[in-house]
Parts: sequence; structure tokens; C-alpha cells
Amino acid sequence: MADVMTLRKVRAGTSASRRRTAAGFAPKIRRNLSAHGFLIGAVLCFTFFSWYPIVREVIMSFQKAVFGGGYAWAGFTNYVRIFHDPTFWQAWRNTGEFTVLALVIGYAVPFCVAILLNELRHASGYLRILVYLPVMLPPASALLLFAYFYNPQYGLFDEILRALHLPTSQWVFQPGTGFVSTAMVSVVIASTWMNMGGATLIYLAALQNIPGELYEAAELDGAGLFGRIRHITIPQTKLILLMLLLLQVVATMQMFVESFVLTNGGGGVADNTQSVVMLIYQYAFALSGASNYNSASALGVVLMLVLAVFSGGFLWATKDRG
Amino acid sequence: MAGLAGVGARVGGRKQVTKATTRTLISSAQLNRRSGKIGYRVILTVVIVVFTLVFIGPMYFLFTDGLKSTSEAIATPPTLYPHHLHPGTYRAAFDRMDVARLLWNTLYYAFGALAFQLVFDVAAAYSLSKLRPVLGSVIFFLMLATLMIPTTVLVVPQYVTVANLPILHVNLIGTPEAIWLPSVANAFNIFLLKRFFDSIPEDYIDAARIDGATGLTILRRVVLPISRPIIGVVSIFGLVAVWKDFLWPLLVEYGYSPTRESLNVGIWQASATTPQNLIIAASAMAAIPTIVFFLIFQRNIMAGLTAGGIRG
Amino acid sequence: MSRQRYRLSCRTAAAVAAVAGLGLAASACSSSGSSNASGGGKVTVSIDCAPTAANNPVQHKEWLADVATFEKANPKITIKSVYNYPCEVPATFTAMLRAGTEPDIFYTYFTDLPQVLIAGQAADITPYVNSKTVPTLKDIVPGAMRAVTAGKTIYGLPTSNYTQGLVYNRMLFSKAGLDPNNPPTTWAQVEVDAAKIAKLGHGIYGYGDYSAGNTGGWHFSSYMDAMGGKMVNTATAPPSAAFDTADGTAILTALHTMRFTDHAMSPTQGLTWGSLQQQMAENKLGMYIAAPDDIYNVIVPTDKGDVNNFGMGPLPSASGTPAGSLGGGNTYIFAKHDTPAQIEAGIKFIDFEDLTPGVGQFNFARTKADGQPVGFPEPELFDGAAGTKINELRTKFATVNTSNFAAFVKASEEDLGEPLDAQAVYKTLDPVMLAVLTEPNANISALLKTASTNVNEILANSPG
Repeated sequence: MADVMTLRKVRAGTSASRRRTAAGFAPKIRRNLSAHGFLIGAVLCFTFFSWYPIVREVIMSFQKAVFGGGYAWAGFTNYVRIFHDPTFWQAWRNTGEFTVLALVIGYAVPFCVAILLNELRHASGYLRILVYLPVMLPPASALLLFAYFYNPQYGLFDEILRALHLPTSQWVFQPGTGFVSTAMVSVVIASTWMNMGGATLIYLAALQNIPGELYEAAELDGAGLFGRIRHITIPQTKLILLMLLLLQVVATMQMFVESFVLTNGGGGVADNTQSVVMLIYQYAFALSGASNYNSASALGVVLMLVLAVFSGGFLWATKDRG
Repeated sequence: MAGLAGVGARVGGRKQVTKATTRTLISSAQLNRRSGKIGYRVILTVVIVVFTLVFIGPMYFLFTDGLKSTSEAIATPPTLYPHHLHPGTYRAAFDRMDVARLLWNTLYYAFGALAFQLVFDVAAAYSLSKLRPVLGSVIFFLMLATLMIPTTVLVVPQYVTVANLPILHVNLIGTPEAIWLPSVANAFNIFLLKRFFDSIPEDYIDAARIDGATGLTILRRVVLPISRPIIGVVSIFGLVAVWKDFLWPLLVEYGYSPTRESLNVGIWQASATTPQNLIIAASAMAAIPTIVFFLIFQRNIMAGLTAGGIRG
Repeated sequence: MSRQRYRLSCRTAAAVAAVAGLGLAASACSSSGSSNASGGGKVTVSIDCAPTAANNPVQHKEWLADVATFEKANPKITIKSVYNYPCEVPATFTAMLRAGTEPDIFYTYFTDLPQVLIAGQAADITPYVNSKTVPTLKDIVPGAMRAVTAGKTIYGLPTSNYTQGLVYNRMLFSKAGLDPNNPPTTWAQVEVDAAKIAKLGHGIYGYGDYSAGNTGGWHFSSYMDAMGGKMVNTATAPPSAAFDTADGTAILTALHTMRFTDHAMSPTQGLTWGSLQQQMAENKLGMYIAAPDDIYNVIVPTDKGDVNNFGMGPLPSASGTPAGSLGGGNTYIFAKHDTPAQIEAGIKFIDFEDLTPGVGQFNFARTKADGQPVGFPEPELFDGAAGTKINELRTKFATVNTSNFAAFVKASEEDLGEPLDAQAVYKTLDPVMLAVLTEPNANISALLKTASTNVNEILANSPG
């Protein structure tokens, strides 16, 4: 290696002296040009479809539509309007509810399932396929299937309840806006079934990387099953757990398709499954004449800020331990 | 370095079996005890049964409800299996909902998006990681910043932008590019790729440079061959993202012409106006290619998911 | 050696940048929106809402035949059909207008013109519309022309209109021991009949209604019109909600009772357009409200119902005589980006397809020959000579027993149009309908009050 390094230095030296006599910065510029050439495709796409829309959304949130197709400045009117809309607060409540429920059902459950799968070595391969299979379905198919199961008239779930002599439910259309409303739980169940496979497998991989010696040591120290989980499993997989927690929260705050398909776009009884993104969609596209891209943008900006604050805070809080 | 070790272990697709995997939460000694054995078997059976019911159960109905007649599909109480087989439903659903075209459209969008992502994102990550241009860290930071702002939030301004691209004044609505190009703006992919490239030792690159290789050649001959695992991960994420997308294709493709619809949008649009058994049959047909794809490539998919997940 | 390396890298960089640029430029070439008038006097016009082969095979065939006939008679004109079903989806319609990507001639509801004008997407076609280009122009009912006119400017042409009535299943009526020639006309009678039909069991229910996709509010508006009330009071400035009244409460109470007391309605709610027609075709639903075209455009051709099973009566009201009906319809509006040649060509085609007795949509001879039902009382686009001609043709080629619709025709409901900002109003009433149909303890007055406030907010803020 040493001779190669020396050779490199020698070559660098000669070419450097040659270059110094030519235009001093040319090679650097050319190298940069080449590097930028590789970058340009992605940068253009980011510019047009990511950075520019972000800026545009903020600008649009301060505008209003004028007759004939233009825009005029409107100050904070849009923000005031959406804050006064009771559906706005309901949508945030629902999104928060969905996020928490999804964390419990859709975050803790995959982790526990992964632990289970890790232990059951014989069936691990089969179970892994089972768990990931629903992830492969097109979401509309999976959700329409669940809508079919949830149907109070001819759906399977109410039939099961009837067979068990339990009261039937209207599931996604069950009224009630409590924190744990049946409607929201129904949506979370469908969502978890569709999505947990990915998270489970990622956890499983992380679990498989935990050195067995740690468990040996813990067991020798007298740690029980839960003790081992608490003191070995969780700390060892902490990075993955935290990363997926952040991703999960950010993803569930933008829940759209599950609630939309299951409630036919309506948001449930008294809007009890209406999420924030559904509200953005409604402001922008579903009110026809009163459609308001600007209110939708304002709501989008609010959501952006909430997510940015959350992500930033989360990353900062986990920085030292990460 | 741990990352690279993981990579090295998976080059060539071999799965490295370390001693670590033989000892998990519960020791083999415990399992070999009589009570342990019985407990294990019981739990194993229960888990297999429950999981099969929960995960395969709905799939069973997905495939058999399509075989029922329209009235039986909405009969009260629902029947567990079709009392009269109506395989014609599948044919009817195929024709009426144009499942073939929906599938083709979606595959076209997904693989096109993947191609664009592989070309542009890999090049960008390579540049940021190895070529290190001036302003590179600024650009990378700006890209990462968009991770906090998910695309769903931007759907309105993105739509307005796609309808009339600034400077170029081009309308992309109804074109496949409307799905392909925004998919390139994926900071997560670039982050994963760059991180992986960062972990490639400089020695490899330097050795190639000494031999007079250019940036592109280094990318092609040195970096890409080692990067198969991460390319696999990025490919899976990219394909799945387009496959599962709903709101964006609804706005940019159906809005122009219903023949450009993707699978999700097409099935959903038909759901109010088509009988249940046809919808389920169409959904089943839409699911078959992905399930087949998954069963064939499951090893690679699992490896990709797990390789992407383990990072020290 | 080093210089060569950097030159190659430069080339590489240039190549990559070129590919990126080409990628975007290629999309410029394939960018679409509307078709352009090509040179040599030839004109291409794109028009949507063409019937799809999958959902309306017979109408699809007839459409193709009409297009072929038209293009043969007008060799300089090419019609580019955009097939979709349903014809208008609020989300994509709004998006389309904002982006300016609508076809040259696009389908809208009567209520959509204000929205199209706000988005600046309608072309002024007044100079091109006269009794020469549209011979039946003076016979078109004023309500229909109002839907395409703002002030004195015409932006499109109406193609159909409707009022709503009670669609009922004659077969289920007979089965339940009710007289199929005597449909209920008051809410009280509707409740009784619905309860009787629901007793048939086997998933059969007596009454059904929508509560999603803006269609719940749409039906509620119709009920209000029949009761003599209205949704929006345009006399105040700004306009205000007018449905929080005894009439509104009576309607919702009746629906609520049918659902929870009589169990005459299915527990499956949150339905949107398309579902009730299917249930009716399957003979699982006793009654729902709709326009006659639900039967001949949806229930029979798409959902394969037996046309002889269905009849129509008037909308349910308090007294038995409806004060009016929500009246709506469809139009074709001309897009702002059309050239004069396209506008002329488009008017010619619409006149041929939709506004001439005996031709296109009024070609009853062909409809009968194709095995589709003829003889329904709507659309009633025309008064005067054209109207008489169409009704003569209808009677001549009738295939259905027109007495099945006698009750509806006799009631002769007045077309009351649709409320201001209709789609937004409907959207706001959807949750009210949904709550009434899913909550056993729905507080109807609170629901109406909230909806009123929301509608007032919308009306106060709508631009233009």
C-alpha cells in the first residue's frame, strides 16, 4: 500500500505542477462540473417537485382566488377561516387519536410479533411470508375487502359478533367521537393489517443481530423473560425502534387512503374518522364551487409546521442517545 | 464499519449465519427441557393457527367471494364459501373494470419511476458521497429537510406546479412523467444510498482512480457491483411506493383520461357503481401479480428489507 | 492522462445533464391537455362523458355510430371521445379546472357554471349560438338555458335535465301486498309501505338513501323542495341557509324513524351514487328517490335490472302533492382554450347528438331496436314544437308501460333548480344525513343548526 501511496503522491505532484502552470482552478472546476453533472437530475426534480412546491404552498396560503382565475393577497384570512372551522379541530383530534392508536396497535404489535417470530425458529420463514403478504396488496383492494367485512348488513365481522351473541356494530360508521371510538379503531385495524409486515421484518432483522452472549449473561444474572427484553432486546434495537417510531408518527399524521376508502370519502359519522389530510383534500377538491386551494394550502402549511416541529424535537431529543 | 461488515456478509447473496442467531431470548437449554418443549410446541401451534387465520383468512375471502354470484355476495347472513360457483364473475370483472389495462398502467408507472430513481438518485448519492462537489453539503441538507415534509402535505401545490411547470411552461398532467419525476425527489433514498456509499472504503476508489478511471467508470465498475443490497432496498421501496400511491395518481392521471388510471384509483372509482362480487374479483386479480412476484422474489425482498434495517 | 480523465468527466457531466434535460424536454413533447386544430381547415374536438364500453355497452355502440355518421357528414371535423363513467367526479373536476386540462368540450352539472367561471375556464360562445346553428334553440326550456348562461353570455349547451321522483320496485310492492299502481305520496305512507316491504326479509329493505359523496345533501335538498322549503335564501346579503326549519326536521325525523324504529332501512349506510341503483336492480330495495334516467341509464343497462319491475311516483311530501322538485341537469361547456373553429365544430356536434328530435340521444327508433327501454318522461329539455315532436316519438316507439310512471308525470313537479353553491351545500349536508342514518340518538335540531352555520360560512366566503 505504501508504494502505491507514494506513487500517487508522485503523480499528484507532477500533475499538480503541470496544472499549476495551466489555469489554476480549471481542474477543480471541471471536477465540480462532473460532480454537479451527476447531481443535476435529482436536483432538478427536487427543485420542481419538492422545494418549489413547498415555497408555493406557503405563498398560496396567503392568497385568495379571484374571479377569472387569478390570485390576490389575502393576509391571514385563510388561516383564520380554517381555525374557525369546527371540522379543523375535529380532524386534528382524529389524527392525534389515529396516531396514538396506530402507535399502540401498529408499532408495539409488530415489535412483539417480531420477538415472537425470532423465538419460533421452525416456522419463522412461513410466518414471515404470512405477515408480509398483505403489504403486497394494492391498498384499494385491501381496504375494499375490509369495507366488505365491516358492512353491517352482509359483512363477516358482524356475523361473527352475532354468532357470539354480542351486539353488532356499524364499525367504521359507528357514531361516537370518544378517544377510542369504534370507528377509529376499525380504521386502525385495517391499516395495521395492511402495513405491519414491513415493520415486523425490519424489527426481526434487528433482533437477529443481537449477540446471544448478552442474553446468556443476563440470564446468568438472574433476569427473567421480561427482564431480558427490557434490558437487552430494547436497548440493542433502540436505534431501529426510534427511527421507526419517527417514521410511524410522521406517516400516520398523513393518513388518508384508509379513512377515505372506508368512509366513501365522507369522513365518518360526525367526521369522526376525518384526518387532516382528508380535510386538505376536501378543501381543495371536494367542495366544487367553494373549493379553496388557498385554505387547503394554509392547512398544509400548518401540518408542515407540526411535522417539522415534531421531527426536529424528536431528533434533538434522541440525539445523544442515537 | 459495522454496516460494511453487514454488506460484506451479503455480497453474492449468501446469508452469513453467525453464532449469535442460535441464541435468542430463550435459551436452547430451556427449550430442550420437557416443559420447554411442550410450551414451545403449544405456542408454535397457536401462533401458526392464529396468524394463518388473521393473514390468510381475509385473502381466502378475497379469492372466493369473487366466485359468488352478485346476490350471494351480499346475502345476509354471509356465506363462508360460495354455494354456487360463478367463475364467470372473474371474466366479467376483468372486462368491465379493464383490469389488464389498470395492471399495465401501474406496472408502467412503477418500473418507469424505478428507472428514473435508480439513474438520478444513485448518481446524486454517488456525487454527494464520493465526488463531493462544492455546495454538496448544502444541497444534501436541503434534501434531508424535505424528509420532514411528507409529499401528501404538498399535494395541492405539486398539482398546480405539475399542471404548469415554471420556466418550462409544460403541462405534465396525464403523462407518466407526472408520476415518474416527482418520485425522484425522494430524500430517504438518497440518504440510504449516500450512507451506503460513504461506507465504501476510500481505498477501493483510490485504487481505481490511480488506474485512471473516471467518475463514471468508478461508479460503474467499483461502486455499483458492491451496492447490490442497497440498490435492492431502494428498488423495493420505490416500487412499493408507486404501487401503493392513491391520491396523486387520482389527481394527475384519472383527471386527464380514465385510460391512464392506476390500479388503486381504478378499483376505487368502480367501487360505488359495481357490484361487490365484481369488485372483490377485480381486487383478487390485481393482487395475483404482486403475490406471485413476492413469492418468487421473497428471498431478495426479505434480504433487502433486512439489509436496509440493520445499521449500527 | 489526467487531462484526459477530466475531459472525459466533463463529457460525462454533459451527458448526464443532457439526459436530464432531455427527460424533461421529452415530457414537453408528450405534454397533453387539449387537441389543437390542425392545418388545412381540419378541426379536432375532444369531448368527454362518452359512454364506456364496459359499463354501457349499448350506448357505447350508439355513440360510436353517431360519431361515425357525424364525421362522414362533416369530413373536416374529427371527434375525439373521452370515455368516462361516472361522467363527473368532483375531485378531478375541480383539479381539472384549476390546471386548465379539461377537454375542449366538457360535461358539467347545471350547478357547475359559477365554478367554471371562477376558474376562468369557459369560452364565450354567444356569437356562435343562433337558430341556424341550433335550430331548436328557442324551444329549449329557460331553466336549462339558464344553466349555461351568465348575464347575456352563453358558455355552453344543455344536454339533459331532470326532476326527481320516487323510484319504487313494483315487484316488491306486489310481494308485500301493496298496490303497485298506487305508490305512496306522503312521508307517512312511505313509512308504512317501507316497513311492510322490509318484513319480506332476506336482505330486502323498504327505503334507501345516500349519505356520502355529496349525494346525501343532494337528496336532502330534493326533499326540502318537495316540502315547499328551500335550502338557501338568496334574498339576504350574503345568502343564508334556510333549511333549519320544521320541514327539514320532519324529513330527517322520517328517515330516522324508518331506520331505527321500523328497521325499514339497511344498517349499511354511508352510501354514495351507484349503490342504491344496484340494490334496486337486485330487487333488494323497495324505494328511493331519483330522476327517471336512473332507470334507463343505470339500473337497466349497467345493473341489469328488469325494466318492468320499476315505477315512479312523486317525491314524498307532507300533503301528498309535492311543491316542486330539485331540478338539475347536465351541460357541455366549451373550454377557454378552444379555437373558433373548434367552437363551431363542437356546437354542430352537440346539436346533432343532443338537441335534435329523432337523432342522437332522441333517436328512439334506434334505442328501441337496440333493446333499450323507451318511453320515460324525461329529459324534458324542450317546450313548443320540438317538445311535442319528441313526445310523439316517445309514444310511437315506447317499449315500457308508461302507466308505470303515471303517478310521477301526473304530479308534474315544478323544476326548482338547485341551490347556490350547490355542491358545497350538499357536502355540508352529507354528515347530517349520515348521522341521522347511523346514530340511534341523533340530535336532529343540533345537526341542522351546525349545518346551517357551516353553510352560512361557505356562502359568506364564496368568491364571485
